[in-house]
This record gives sequence, C-alpha cells and structure tokens, in this order.
Amino acid sequence: MLGDIVSPDLFAAALRMATPLALAAIGGTICERSGVVNIALEGMMLTGAFFGTAVVLATGSPWLGVAGAVVAGVAMASVHAFASINLRADQTVSGTAINLLALGVTGFLMELWYGHPGTTDQIAVLRPIFSFDAPGGGVLPEIWRWLNGIFLSHTPIVYITMAIAVAAQWAVYHTRWGLRLRALGEHPRAADTVGVNVLRGRWVAVLISGGLAGLAGANLTIEQVGSFTENMTNGRGFIALAANIFGRWTPVGSYLASLLFGFADALQIRLQVLRGIVSVPPQFFLMLPYVLTVVVLAGVIGRAVAPAASGVPYRKG
Amino acid sequence: MSEPRSAVPVQRRWMAVLQKVGTPIISAALAIVAGSLIMWASGYDPALAFASLFQGSLGSPKAIGDTVLKSVPLILTGLAVAYGFRAGLFNIGAEGQLFMGALAATALGLTLTGVPWIVTVPLMLVAAMAAGASWAFVPAVLKARIGAHEVITTMMFTYIGRYLVSWLVNGPMKAPGGIPQTHELAINAQLPKIAALFPDSMKQALPILNLGRAHVGIVVALTAAVVIWLILKYTTLGYENRAVGYNRWASETAGISVQWTTVKALCISGSLAGLAGATEVMGVHYRLFDQFSSGFGFTGIAVALLAKNHPLGVIPAAFLFGALAAGAGTMQFQADVPQKIISIIQALVIFFVAAEEIVLWFVRRRQKEAMSHAG
Repeated sequence: MLGDIVSPDLFAAALRMATPLALAAIGGTICERSGVVNIALEGMMLTGAFFGTAVVLATGSPWLGVAGAVVAGVAMASVHAFASINLRADQTVSGTAINLLALGVTGFLMELWYGHPGTTDQIAVLRPIFSFDAPGGGVLPEIWRWLNGIFLSHTPIVYITMAIAVAAQWAVYHTRWGLRLRALGEHPRAADTVGVNVLRGRWVAVLISGGLAGLAGANLTIEQVGSFTENMTNGRGFIALAANIFGRWTPVGSYLASLLFGFADALQIRLQVLRGIVSVPPQFFLMLPYVLTVVVLAGVIGRAVAPAASGVPYRKG
Repeated sequence: MSEPRSAVPVQRRWMAVLQKVGTPIISAALAIVAGSLIMWASGYDPALAFASLFQGSLGSPKAIGDTVLKSVPLILTGLAVAYGFRAGLFNIGAEGQLFMGALAATALGLTLTGVPWIVTVPLMLVAAMAAGASWAFVPAVLKARIGAHEVITTMMFTYIGRYLVSWLVNGPMKAPGGIPQTHELAINAQLPKIAALFPDSMKQALPILNLGRAHVGIVVALTAAVVIWLILKYTTLGYENRAVGYNRWASETAGISVQWTTVKALCISGSLAGLAGATEVMGVHYRLFDQFSSGFGFTGIAVALLAKNHPLGVIPAAFLFGALAAGAGTMQFQADVPQKIISIIQALVIFFVAAEEIVLWFVRRRQKEAMSHAG
C-alpha cells in the first residue's frame, strides 16, 4: 500500500505540480520586489492557459501556443501596470478586477469561438524531452529508476522553470538590474533621486510577472491537461502568492516553497488510491493544498518581511 | 468624518455629494459602454442585447422580482466586503463565509421541524451569521496576530469551505436520490415570497405586486444595510472600525486596539456574508447543494467598490448588479450574447472605480467647462 503512494511517480508529480505555482510565485516575487503587489497572478495564469490553448487549436503548434500564453499574460499584466503604476489605483483592487476580467474574457471567448462553455477540445501537447529505457533488477538500476522517474521524465517547461528560478535569483541579487529592482520596492524615492526611472522599472517587473504567469498557464494546458477548462487555475495564483511569501520574496525560495505545495497536491492525488481501503471522502484530500497554505502562512510569516514599499503607488515629485 | 454642517456652504455640500456619487455613476456608465463595444466587436447587436437585458431585469413585475431576488445576496455580500474595507481589510473570501452561512442555516432548519417559523427563521439567520463569522475568525486572528494577508487566507478558506459543503451534500447530509443535495427545508424554515403575502384581489388591483420569485429576504438585506450604516456612523464600534481603516498607527496611538478591531471587523464582515448564504437557501433554493451560489461573494467586491464602501450606497450598487444578473439569461436567449459579458462588465466597473483618475479626468473637465461657461 505504501509502495502505491511513495514511488518515483509521486515525486515526479510533485515537481510537475510545483511548476505552475513556481512560475507564478517567481513572477510575484519580482513584481513585489519592485513595489507592486500582484493579486492578479491567478487571472494572468488563466488568461495564459486559455490563449495558449487557443493558439494551439488554431495552429497545431504547442510551442506557438506557449508563446501565445506568454504574450497573453504580458497583455493582462500591462492592464495591471497601467492601473497601479500610472493611475495609482489600489493594487489589490486592480488585481481583483483583472482576476474577474480574466474569468469573464476567457469564458466569453470560449463561447464566442468554440460555441460552448466548459472545456475545449484536446490539443497537441508538449511531450517529455527524454525517454530512457528502464533497466532490469539490482541496486544500481533501482537508483537509476528513481532518478530517471523523478528528474528525467518531464516536459520542457518543468526544466525551463528550474532554469528561470536560478536565473532570476542571480538577476535579482547579482546584477545592476536586480539592485535597482530591490531599491524600487524598498525605497523608491531614493532610487528616483539617484536617477532610476521608478515607473519604467515597475512596468518591466509587472510585465515579467505577467509573462511568467502566462507561462504557468501554458504549463497547465499545453503540458499537463491538454485542454482548457473555465476557471481551471482554481486558486493556484493565490497559493503562488503564499509560496512567494514562504520563500521570503526570493526566486529560489519561491521555487522551493512551490515544491512543498506541489508535493501536497501530488500527495492528495496519490492518497485517493486509499479510498477503497480507508473511507476518507475525496473532498478532504482536495482541501489539503489550501489547508497547507494557511498553515504555512500562519507558521512562517512572522519572520518574513515584505519589501517596504510593496503596495504603495509612487508619485513623482 | 462628518463636518459641522453649518460651516459648509450648501453648494459645496452638494458638490461633495455629486463627486461621491458621480464617480461610481460614470464608472458604471463607462463599463457598460466598454461592454457594448466588446459585444459590437464580437459581432453581436449591443442595442438588442441591452434591450433584452432591460426586459429581463426591469421589463415586467416578474422581471423586477428577479432583480430583487438577485440583489438580496449582493446587498449582503456587498455590505460584508464594504465593512471590511472600511477597516482597511479586503475580505475576498466572502464566498466561503456565504457557503458556511448557508450550511448552518440548512443544518438548523432541517433539525427544527415542527417549530413555528417565528422561532426557526430568526434562529437560522443568527446561526448563519455565527457560521460566517467563525469562517472569517481564523483569517482574522492570523491577520491581527502575525499579519498574514487576509486576501490569501480568506481565499483559501473559501476553497476549504466549498469542499466541506461539497462533502456534506454528497455524504452525510445528502437526501436520497441521484442528485447531491440536502432534504428540502420545511415551510417553517423558508422565507416566503413577497407576492404570497398579498391577497389575489390586491394583486389584481396592483399588478406590480406580482414580483415573481422575489422573497422577503430583501427586508433582511435592507435592514442589514441600515444597521451597518448606523453602526459605522454612530457607534464606538463603527468609529474604531473607520479609524483603523484610515490610519492604524494613529488609532493605535489613540488607544484603539488595532488587533481586536481587525478581528471584529472581519468577523462582522463574515457574518454578513453568512447571512447572504442563509437568504439564498431559505428564500430561493430551500435546500443546499454544491452550486447554489453563482459567485455572489465575488460580485460583492464589485458592489462594495461601486458603492465606495458606503452601506447605503451598497443598495443601488447591488440593484445594478442584480439587474445585470437577472437580465443575463434573457439577453443570452434573445440576443445570443454569452452571459459572461456580465463578468466582464463587472470587472470593468471595479477597474474604473479603482482607477479613479480616469473618471476624475472626465469630471474635472466637465467642471472646467462649467466654470468657463459661468465665468
């Protein structure tokens, strides 16, 4: 029974489930580091998921779909950027508007283009990059089976996400751009005084977060599910925000925190095989990631400090 | 908050009122214009769409009844979100508290059989408020004690609550039969329809009383709006709520417990959302099932923002969104426009209210024009 649950597949699924969360969480990190709160990750992810699917349905090319998802995420993000940076709207409220807008636009276009609500047709998906043969018995082959199963069984965006986490960490902490980004979120007035363009810097950060959230949506539809369903993001954008906080506003931290949430998700799916043996209703497993998010926030947040100027619109002059 | 009246010239008071009411009205108008453009660009006929929308929401007593029906939960969730906002808290999870309120009301209503309605109905409403408040309590404490963002926690509690209800209506509370739903509430646990309160002779004389499905929950909702307005305006509780919303540090210095005020604010907010769940179950569906709420908790955010968080402003704002929701079906049927356009219009309303600068730009230009005409 334990063998049914603890297997290479469980950990591979954790990596897979963590990917959209991590992409959105890293986007949230970069956005908040620049001083803009991004509640709209959920909506940007959903928009990316839909337009990614739509492009694949139109062209048949998964990679074009990925590009479409990123562009759609960036487009949604530009709305958030314009509202919260130029118009100095309340960032949380603007984000809520975008989440609702994403729900409405994707649902509306779904009926307009495909003639029905619900779920789209199946699309061409991105396949795992590697496929190695599983060797026979013995200790070494067993280790190989685990490593192969956990790390080498994935689709491209899973690996791209790992690369993005490392690259973003380096960019935020070891480049001039990163130094300026952090300055924008801690003390925009000081950054402005030394000649950093606050509005432009924040725009770039918000657009990057939109692109990453869009990519997260592409991962959901073009790699994991193979079709789009209305509201399929199901709160992942909010869990990603929690992962960003748990990861203390660092890209690699966000990735690792997302792994925890991804593991919870993978575990709840795996645990459902227990249903025949122990009669636990599936709803309790489905609750698990959301409960974990609250527990994690409750446990960690006191010691984590948000960027000082996060959520505060900047008025020049 | 309220300035001494005599000190402010009448004209300036009117200008202030106009500015308060003007932005929401212009925002709503802009959103509807933008919605029309989207319909037009998508190949639909906006004129036909709005005509059928009007017909389905205000075109007949029955349609008006539908608008009232949809407005009831929206007034309550709008109040919930607005009350939180007035303390600087964003209760994005009103939907979850609404589910818990509906659950408590249903559970109690199914238990209290054979008890007169004068006892059951108030008890169910109170139970729903308690359940809604309890669902907001943990996020409230987490916010007050360690600053965990209420947007994330109340959202997570919404998912947890929905799965909890889903389990109950699929399992322990499921009525026999293929559909996952509870037993029907007995008549003593229902909110009666408004039309049923009047004798037929009166309805014949006054056809406007044939309000279709509208139920007396509207009285509950309107009462709640007035009570919240009174609380905010005249009580210490409301004063502290507003003070913390304006400036938590100044409030702390003035001796107000910000933590305790935060907890109270979110719990009161949750209780209002819970009440919305109760009126839906007791007045509309008479039973609980998975999909009984069409996102009233989330639309409540739009209602609160459009009302600029004023408890009485929530009423017209809720009627606007109630009318949109009530007419959406007719619109889809007659003009073929997907109902989702309503979500888009809602989102645009929030957007325009939030990005007030766009709207203020219009207002200022009008003022400038008026001034140049006058001078």
